[in-house]
Amino acid sequence: MLESTLSELEASALARINAATSPDQLEPVRIEVLGRKGALAQISKDMGKLAPEERARVGKLLNAAKQTLEQALDRRKAEFDAMALQARLESEWVDLTEPAPAPRPGSLHPVTQIQREIEELFVSLGFTVLDGPEVETEWHNFDALNIPPTHPARDMQDTFWLTDGHLLRTHTSPVQVRGMEKLGPPLRMIAPGRVFRNEEVDASHEHTFYQLEGMMIDREVSVAHLIYFMKTLLSAIFRREVTVRLRPGYFPFVEPGFELDIQCLICGGTGCPVCKYGGWVELLPCGLVHPNVLRMSGIDPEEWNGFAFGLGLTRLVMMRYGIDDIRLLQSGDLRFLTQF
Amino acid sequence: MKFSYNWIRELVPGLDVTPQELARLITMKTAESEGVEEACPWLSAVCEARIVSVEPIEGSRNVKAVVETARYGMRTVVCGAPNCRPGILTAYVPAGAILQGREIRKAVIAGVESDGMLASGAELGLNREHEGILELVAGELERCRPDGVIEIDNKSITHRPDLWGHHGMAREVAAITGKRLLDPVNLEKVPADDAAVKVSIEDFELCPRYSALVFANVTVKPSPLWLQHRLEVIGLNPINNIVDVTNYVMAELAQPMHAFDADKLRGNTIFVRPAKAGEQVYALNGETYEVGPSNLVIADASGPVALAGVIGGMESAISDTTTRIVLESANFNAASIRKTSAALKLRTDASMRFEKSQDPGNTVRALARAVELLELVSPGIALVGGLADSGRELAAPPPIELPLAWLYRKLGRELETEEVIRILKSLEFGVSEVRPGVLSVTVPSWRATKDISIKDDLVEEVGRIIGYDSITPAPPMVPSVVPPRNEEREFHHQVREFMTTQGFTEVYNYSFVSEEMAAEFGFDVDAHLRIANPIASDQTLLRTSLLPGIRKNLLENSKHFESFRLFEIGREIHKREGGLPEEVPHLVAALYSRNDGVGNLFELKRVAEGLMPGVEVRAVEARPFEHPARVAGLCWQGVELGRLFEFHPSMVETGRAAVLDIDLATLFANRPQQKRYRPLRRFPTSAFDLSVIADARKPAGDIQKRMAQLAGEFLVSVEFLMKYAGPPLPEGYKSVSFRLTVGAPDRTLSSDDVAQIRARVIEGLRSSGYELRV
Repeated sequence: MLESTLSELEASALARINAATSPDQLEPVRIEVLGRKGALAQISKDMGKLAPEERARVGKLLNAAKQTLEQALDRRKAEFDAMALQARLESEWVDLTEPAPAPRPGSLHPVTQIQREIEELFVSLGFTVLDGPEVETEWHNFDALNIPPTHPARDMQDTFWLTDGHLLRTHTSPVQVRGMEKLGPPLRMIAPGRVFRNEEVDASHEHTFYQLEGMMIDREVSVAHLIYFMKTLLSAIFRREVTVRLRPGYFPFVEPGFELDIQCLICGGTGCPVCKYGGWVELLPCGLVHPNVLRMSGIDPEEWNGFAFGLGLTRLVMMRYGIDDIRLLQSGDLRFLTQF
Repeated sequence: MKFSYNWIRELVPGLDVTPQELARLITMKTAESEGVEEACPWLSAVCEARIVSVEPIEGSRNVKAVVETARYGMRTVVCGAPNCRPGILTAYVPAGAILQGREIRKAVIAGVESDGMLASGAELGLNREHEGILELVAGELERCRPDGVIEIDNKSITHRPDLWGHHGMAREVAAITGKRLLDPVNLEKVPADDAAVKVSIEDFELCPRYSALVFANVTVKPSPLWLQHRLEVIGLNPINNIVDVTNYVMAELAQPMHAFDADKLRGNTIFVRPAKAGEQVYALNGETYEVGPSNLVIADASGPVALAGVIGGMESAISDTTTRIVLESANFNAASIRKTSAALKLRTDASMRFEKSQDPGNTVRALARAVELLELVSPGIALVGGLADSGRELAAPPPIELPLAWLYRKLGRELETEEVIRILKSLEFGVSEVRPGVLSVTVPSWRATKDISIKDDLVEEVGRIIGYDSITPAPPMVPSVVPPRNEEREFHHQVREFMTTQGFTEVYNYSFVSEEMAAEFGFDVDAHLRIANPIASDQTLLRTSLLPGIRKNLLENSKHFESFRLFEIGREIHKREGGLPEEVPHLVAALYSRNDGVGNLFELKRVAEGLMPGVEVRAVEARPFEHPARVAGLCWQGVELGRLFEFHPSMVETGRAAVLDIDLATLFANRPQQKRYRPLRRFPTSAFDLSVIADARKPAGDIQKRMAQLAGEFLVSVEFLMKYAGPPLPEGYKSVSFRLTVGAPDRTLSSDDVAQIRARVIEGLRSSGYELRV
């Protein structure tokens, strides 16, 4: 009798569990059947009236039914959990083709980028990076660089003069002088910075542009060292082996003075519009530091010598990115600047 | 400076390289060539022709001419020149020749077939005569050959007075190619008789030497064609035989000369002296120049007749009626000429050469050369008396000692002693080996005025002739050291990096502002440093603030973008008494959008906090370009170092622009130094929230500060939670909520402790006039 009640109960509970359409429908089944006052508990109570051997047998059946139903409940609950998770995941679809809301990172000015790259290169070669004033004394910009007032070389650099007698530096070379004054020999320094020439502005001329001055003072510095150094450096800047050549160039603060050309990187020296079919591109002036310059900065030229060079950063930037209008660099135009 | 290849070859016989190759050699070893141009290549096809017959052509102003040439035989041409007449010798250009870029074709003109053409001097590029066809002296056209013009960059020869003439360049070419150099000067041409003119030099410093010759029986007429052609090729304008000779000698020997009409000079003495105040020079170019004591003039008894070393005077100029001349060949102080030339804005072929410090030893050489040429171009010309030559004693420059080991160390390459000697001698240095391994080098006078005085100068002479490509690159042997760091620069780079991660793009602006820009910002124009020689009105002042530039960026970019962020790191330049100005690096960041702008300000405040954790905002008075209700000062580590504001709507009309302006020098100086670890808190903290009702414009920061003071020693943090305005609060009020966290370092605070602190804060706030929402 109890036995048949039990199997009926088990069957109907299982049917209810399987038929449940939501987790809320499982709880009543659990309470009614498996709860403390549920049907199975009732049967367990009623078992007391059975004979001992009968009781043991029915007890086993009861436990089995209880286990079956508990498992069924857990399984069904897990199914509901899985479905719920599935539904949640499904509902949480995000359209990742939509744009991210926060602002994009901005960009550094192309001159800053190249300048930093070259600074890092020089620091790795033991050079210190110096800053100098943009407004200079005539002495530092000219006289101390072996360019006295009547020197025709002053004509080569159209100068912005200030009404107080100072001037806007026409090159970064005065930082050489400041470097020597401040640090003394031996010395390895570069000075990147803004320079000024009093010129009309057009696509290839600017009154404001960027240079990088470099100088090395030591006991034994030769033309052979200068060539080696420039070749190493320019190969690093252009990220490939470059061929350089020196030819005479006149700059009063070096002796001998050179123009350094590199073999055209576009055509490899066979001739193209970039090198004006000459195979070489004029890149930077350099030379051995003039003994007068050393002397004027308080360095004994019999004991020390060195080389110096000036790199046109603006020109390098224009070469690197193929910029054809120099004015864009100081235009503040974000349509241009955000490209870098 | 233009050099004629033919001219150089005349001075370096046997020169066997092409003009292009010569230009390359000069570039590699002497001075920068800017290229080679062919001059008159058509001359190889042009020949002398005698006009045999001329017939008129009916209905045409042209004539039909039959010419006879040795090279092309008889040819018939149609010619329109007024001087086309039988018997004359002229120039014939055959069909097929390309003349000034135009091909000469056989053509039927007015019914007559014209086979080639007869040409004028201008058409052939020989001179500027275009009135008629050339009338030649037999054989003279043969002397005008196609030439190559090598253009040398003037900047690359500013230190080489000798390279402003063909002979100087020829000397280089001879040294480079190992050929012999001819000297075109025959000093015997200058007679030793007494001079017919006196020279009085007031200051030998300004005029170290003045040499002159007097000639009579002069005929002024056009120069022979070859001479005109020579001048034309190198860009000089043929004028007449006398003037052309002075220009020819200048182009050959780099010595500027001047010819005066002797009959127009008053008195028999040439005075070289500084001008007197108020004197005037009526110059050859038709201009009158007001001169004074800083300008050197050549004067006769009655006044200035030329601006020394710059330009001659009109009144004593050579004319068709001139029969006697005074030929000047002088040397002037480079600085004085340069000053006069700059002051009068008058650069001439003469002043350009004198300002390079010409060789005083060259004046008489030039006269000797001129005598020879004048005899050629003005037959019958006669010298009157001998050389007038006044000047100071020319001291020979001391010899330079050149230790060879030192030379090789400088070059980074060894050489044979003989080779060094050969190179220096090829450049006409005097060389002797005074001790083993030490040369004594004498500098030729034309290199001694400025160019070469020390042994370092000789390194270049040897180096360039052996060729720098013969030096093997070698790594310098220097100690490997970590260079001193430029921390300020690194800091600026970090700030740049940070700004870009925050979405800001870097701009560069000019260091200049216009007076209008400064005035628009209400800046004191007189506080700016001023450019003495601006080219444009927008570059008259140096910026004392980056803001005008940034505003320009805002206005221009607002035409293309609805919203954007940009920044600049640049220097403000401020006047300083007695010394260089103060250059103060600033960071200016700007954020533009077309909304209410509040978000912009807080975004920039966030950026400021990123740069300066814990930065405080202070009330400040607005400047005219700032939004008066949206401005604050920034204070960090107890120092005022910047401002946060929105541009006044009148400054940026299309939208809202928030701006952050920070003094990076002060920021760098006050940056936190080395950080120290603080032990983690061992005992738990407690927190409670408070909401304060305050006037809507009461700064939340003030309330927060007051709370912090009241909370006392156990305060860990006061955190802003939210702000609320609206019902049930009365109009003009807000409620601001904060969370206070308290804790003790050595124990857990009891609930009584916390309640006590809370009560103290509430009590304190109430007594400060705040109401609390509890």
